[in-house]
Amino acid sequence: MSHVPTARASFSPAGRRRPNWQRMAAWAILVLFVLITLVPFYWMLRISLSDNRTLAANAGSLLPADFTLGAFKRVLGIATLSEATAEGGSGATIDFWRYLANSVLTSAVITVCQVFFSAMAAYAFARLRWPGREKVFFVFLTALMVPPIFTALPNFVTVQQLGLLNTYAGIVLPYLFMTPFAVFFLRQFFLNISREVEEAAIVDGAGHARIFFRLIVPMSSAPIATISLLVYIGAWNEYFWPLLVGQEDDVRVLTVALGIFRSQTPQAGPDWAGLMAATLLAALPVIALFTVFGRWIVNSIQFSGIK
Amino acid sequence: MRRITRLAAVATMLPLALAGCGSGGDSGGDAASTEKTEISYWLWDSNQLPAYQACADAFHAANPDITVKISQFGWADYWTSLTTNLVSGNAPDVFTNHLNYYPEFAAKRQILPLDDFIKADGVKTDAYAPGLADLWVSNDGKRYGLPKDFDTVAIFYNKKMLADAGISEDEMKKLTWNPTDGGTYEKVIAKLTIDENGKRGDEPGFDKSKVKVYGLGLDENNGAGVGQQMWSMYALSTGWQFTDKNPWGTRFRYDDPRFQQTIAWWRGLIEKGYMPSLAIARSGTSVNDGFGAGKYALSTNGSWMINSYYGYDGVEVGTAPTPVGPSGKRATIYNGLADSIYAGTEHKDQAWQWVKYLASADCQKKVAEKAVVFPAIPEALTIAEEKFAAKGIDISAFTVQIHEKTTSLYPITDHASDISAIMGPAMDAVLSFEADPSSLSKANDEVNALFQ
Amino acid sequence: MSAITERQHGASAPRRDTSVPRRRRRAGDLPVALVFLLPAAVGFGVFYLWPTLRTMYLSFTDYSLLAPPEWVGAENYRRLFQDPLFWNSLRVTVEYVVINIGVQTVVALGLAVLMHRLTRSGLIRGVLLLPYLVANVVVALIWYTMLDAQLGIVNRALEWVGLDPVAFFGETATAIPTIALVNVWRHMGYTALLIFAGLQAIPRTVYEAAATDGASEPTMFRRITLPLLRPTLVLVLVLTVIGSFQIFDTVAVTTKGGPVNATRVIYYYIYELAFQRFDFGYAAAICVALFAILAGLALMQLKMLRAGDTDLD
Repeated sequence: MSHVPTARASFSPAGRRRPNWQRMAAWAILVLFVLITLVPFYWMLRISLSDNRTLAANAGSLLPADFTLGAFKRVLGIATLSEATAEGGSGATIDFWRYLANSVLTSAVITVCQVFFSAMAAYAFARLRWPGREKVFFVFLTALMVPPIFTALPNFVTVQQLGLLNTYAGIVLPYLFMTPFAVFFLRQFFLNISREVEEAAIVDGAGHARIFFRLIVPMSSAPIATISLLVYIGAWNEYFWPLLVGQEDDVRVLTVALGIFRSQTPQAGPDWAGLMAATLLAALPVIALFTVFGRWIVNSIQFSGIK
Repeated sequence: MRRITRLAAVATMLPLALAGCGSGGDSGGDAASTEKTEISYWLWDSNQLPAYQACADAFHAANPDITVKISQFGWADYWTSLTTNLVSGNAPDVFTNHLNYYPEFAAKRQILPLDDFIKADGVKTDAYAPGLADLWVSNDGKRYGLPKDFDTVAIFYNKKMLADAGISEDEMKKLTWNPTDGGTYEKVIAKLTIDENGKRGDEPGFDKSKVKVYGLGLDENNGAGVGQQMWSMYALSTGWQFTDKNPWGTRFRYDDPRFQQTIAWWRGLIEKGYMPSLAIARSGTSVNDGFGAGKYALSTNGSWMINSYYGYDGVEVGTAPTPVGPSGKRATIYNGLADSIYAGTEHKDQAWQWVKYLASADCQKKVAEKAVVFPAIPEALTIAEEKFAAKGIDISAFTVQIHEKTTSLYPITDHASDISAIMGPAMDAVLSFEADPSSLSKANDEVNALFQ
Repeated sequence: MSAITERQHGASAPRRDTSVPRRRRRAGDLPVALVFLLPAAVGFGVFYLWPTLRTMYLSFTDYSLLAPPEWVGAENYRRLFQDPLFWNSLRVTVEYVVINIGVQTVVALGLAVLMHRLTRSGLIRGVLLLPYLVANVVVALIWYTMLDAQLGIVNRALEWVGLDPVAFFGETATAIPTIALVNVWRHMGYTALLIFAGLQAIPRTVYEAAATDGASEPTMFRRITLPLLRPTLVLVLVLTVIGSFQIFDTVAVTTKGGPVNATRVIYYYIYELAFQRFDFGYAAAICVALFAILAGLALMQLKMLRAGDTDLD
């Protein structure tokens, strides 16, 4: 390990030495894409602060139509039936905080277990030598290609036979052990870890468990953090499976509960304001998570050898 | 524990069911009153949830041993979840059913025929608006649902645009239509169309490439082979029928000249600039939102959309019945929902009690109070009429066709979803001028081939 | 190109021995490997392998979901070859994937490199990831309203600058590109993040050395970033291409396969067959066909990946 660019301080962007038009153009492009990203969010915010009944007539306006917090009240379940229907919402009630807690719990369990088990598998695929390794890995990978509508039904029957319908366990079970994505992603990073490091540890008499926990995992903390975030978002947004398995109120997750703001009959449109308010509120916890852990994620990928 | 009580409930109910006595009337005060059962019930419309929750509460009050647990799923998820649950033997005891789906469920023995229950309890199937109950008799001659509501189609109009064009609301009630020149209906549509220079569709110099307000809105769906609120009211008013007989026809008639002329006239409105192109109609906003935004002066739609159309602030809405056609009569499809009992239910009798209650005047009056749908029982409909009127909505444009007996039953046949898969793209092709209306004869052959 | 990679390596890494990583080739790791694989294997077997095998079996049956499957041999596959709608759906899907992946990869690579070279701001990364936090269905709905020909704000803006409105989702020609770009919007930050993670693995010293040699940014991108990033790019491509083939939600919420069959992508066609028309056996056959195509693609991509394995040691 001759390259040890250790400290972050030693980094100085090469471009900084020539602040030229290239850099300006590069910034301009980046800002442009940030804007493209944000415009639809402004539009969601605008709709969420509007009254459904005046939304259509004010389609061209950049400001909320008939500003109201009614949609957020509906999402949080604190609007009365008459308040809700007066603004074109549905009469359904939801217990936002309970569903939020369910979502946090199931997503967290899925993330921790899936990332851990996937990391173990990735270790076996990347760092251990055994016959048939590549073939088995490819078979694992093919699991990515099975469309969920074909896994949903047999998995539903499996979970039902295990007696886990309407339990947290049933909601998290199919995602608990692995996803091909996580295994693939982590394997790729584990492959890149220098073999010398590992061999030095073996010489020191470390077993595989020790190498995995003390060496591979800490050295891959950034990819692990990244994949954890992505798995968490994925679990958080999961809709169809928890809809099937978690119908009962006490295990229902947020996405399923908020589905109520989507089109309920084949012809009628959604409760636009409610749907957008729900979307924004449901994204907040993940945004908070990113803000807290964001610096740690990805940024800390440094190939700093062993410590 | 719960499983044991369920088993016990089944054990006690089984002999009752076998005896066919179905424990009519009040089941409270029975010796087995300690046996509590929970019936699961599914529906898709969240707007109706409060109404049916009120029914469930009243039902529980009358039958303290039976609790009804209502679950609601949006339309798109409803059928996928229901299918998954049917396949795994886990479906709700009672669920809201749709005409497109029930024949398949009945044929595959997933839902219970209600005839024995009806006979045992002496339920009158003629208590409903005429014809509605017949929709739920399958081609095996058995009945799979009791009607809970119904719907018809009418024209929604923007009152201000009408006044600006000098068209009286009275005129709207007397519109005529034919597939050749469109009759007074097309004249009204033309007059209501305005281009960006303020020229009306029937004035010289009208620029059909720059239309500001279309006389008639085009639904984002083409209605596939049924066209319920899109084109069926025109086609049916020529005397055309979907099939050789209804219900349970086996030959479709999309090759009939009357049908194809109707479609040719309909899409002609696009060419004339009176109706938006299919591309525009499909580009994002629903037809009712377009109406609410003042883009369309008229819009044909079903009674289930009343609250949406009347819900737009700043738009004064009126309704008129569909125009009188070449047959000398108006026409509309007449359709409704019903509740079905899952064949695998462990609580057949309690499920039946609940279905019976849902179809009763008692529950339908409660639903009528909320003024969201038209109840199937006439005396409940009277209440709904009052409640709608209290909201400033006159529903006579929808009900007049029932009084004048000009309604046609929704076409019920086997292969409904296959037909829709054939006719959807075929109608799209015609509406987008990729194919001629005569191409529908070929689609008709494909449809009829399904029945061989 | 690989020569350059080699040379860059020479400057920073002592040796790349990836071509002979099997020094200690022995079955000796097998028991350990089994232990490490066990949980994942259980999950794989129960929740992926079993449903897949079941789907394969069902593809040889006539199965309406509500009645037991009946064996029909290769009938479904025969039907598949003669079904113009299947071939149409395949063509439409490929068109979608090409546009979606093409644009998305270029944009994401660009964004990742820009972020890498310009700023360490977590805020920008966070903002770019925002669309991924929003459910597919909602993303589809919001763009659907924004792009409406008569009322959508995007078309209002087009009119304002003097252009004619476009019925993005409504026209046969624009529907698929529109859907593809909407999904680029949702995934570009996410993909950029994956690529960014790979970029972070390239030692800063390489860039610093190149900068000292007077290399310009575009040169460094061509000679350092691209070659060293290749394994990551292939990884990202494998994952996104497979995901892209499974386009469904956006279509289901917006165009529903139309106009005519312009957006009847394969997954939507499968869904219609399985859950609306109860033709589950045939849907399973299409599913298996799709599976074979994807597996072939992945195999190809992996070959590329293996060729570029561990450019960095």
